Amino acid sequence: MLNTSIKSSTKALAIINAKAPYSNTAGKDALDIALIFGSFEQTVSLFFQGDGVWQLISGQDGSIISVKDYLKTFAAFEFYDIENVYVCQSSLTERGLKANFHIDQVQVLKRQAFAQQLTSHQTILRF
Amino acid sequence: MQDAYCPDVKERICTGCTTFRNETVNKLAVMITTPPYSNLSVTALDYIETALKSGVELVGVFFYQDGVLHADAHVQIASDEFQTISQWQKLHQEYKLPLYLCITAAEKRGISDDKIENIHSIFTVSGLGELVELSAMADRMVQF
Repeated sequence: MLNTSIKSSTKALAIINAKAPYSNTAGKDALDIALIFGSFEQTVSLFFQGDGVWQLISGQDGSIISVKDYLKTFAAFEFYDIENVYVCQSSLTERGLKANFHIDQVQVLKRQAFAQQLTSHQTILRF
Repeated sequence: MQDAYCPDVKERICTGCTTFRNETVNKLAVMITTPPYSNLSVTALDYIETALKSGVELVGVFFYQDGVLHADAHVQIASDEFQTISQWQKLHQEYKLPLYLCITAAEKRGISDDKIENIHSIFTVSGLGELVELSAMADRMVQF
């Protein structure tokens, strides 16, 4: 089904996560796309802004409120070659959040740098 | 069309045109995440039809999240409201527009392919791997 042209693709996908993790499935739906693109060796970067930044904050456990704890899967990003995870600094500040994340490779970016990184991607999806 | 708006960036980042402003789009892929009863789906249909009429090649439309409800044969929209499915059927017949259904998202919403009559026949049952392929084939992918 999947042809070889996929491997030679030079496109980079940016996924913007803009929603908090547990009230809807947006974060999980975005994660599924990130992992499948990663497993097909496509370049994919994750961007967190607005309430989406909550998905990165450590010390959460969705299973307490009967939600599958999909945030745990973020730890597998390196196995899928997902190296670029960006978070909007202002979005953190507005919510009184410190850069205390449950994965290591998060890059906190100021507004201009965040936008700059986005423009280096050919496709943008938003969840 | 969903717009990415970061209040910190102070400018609107249009999902469709961010880095393609100066490039010619010959091949287009579209992802539909909005349900058939949403006017956002009408916007998507208008966009797709305009692209097809302009000679753009639609490599495929991928239905994800609540977008999978477009394929549900049991959905009935009141007859005095916009009939989304009629429009998909028209585009599929006139342009052989490929319509791909994410079956995982569909099953989560009660749409199973175990009976052929559950899913409108114009849709091809597929998965996220198809989205990767569409993305690789297209010059641009737009999400609604």
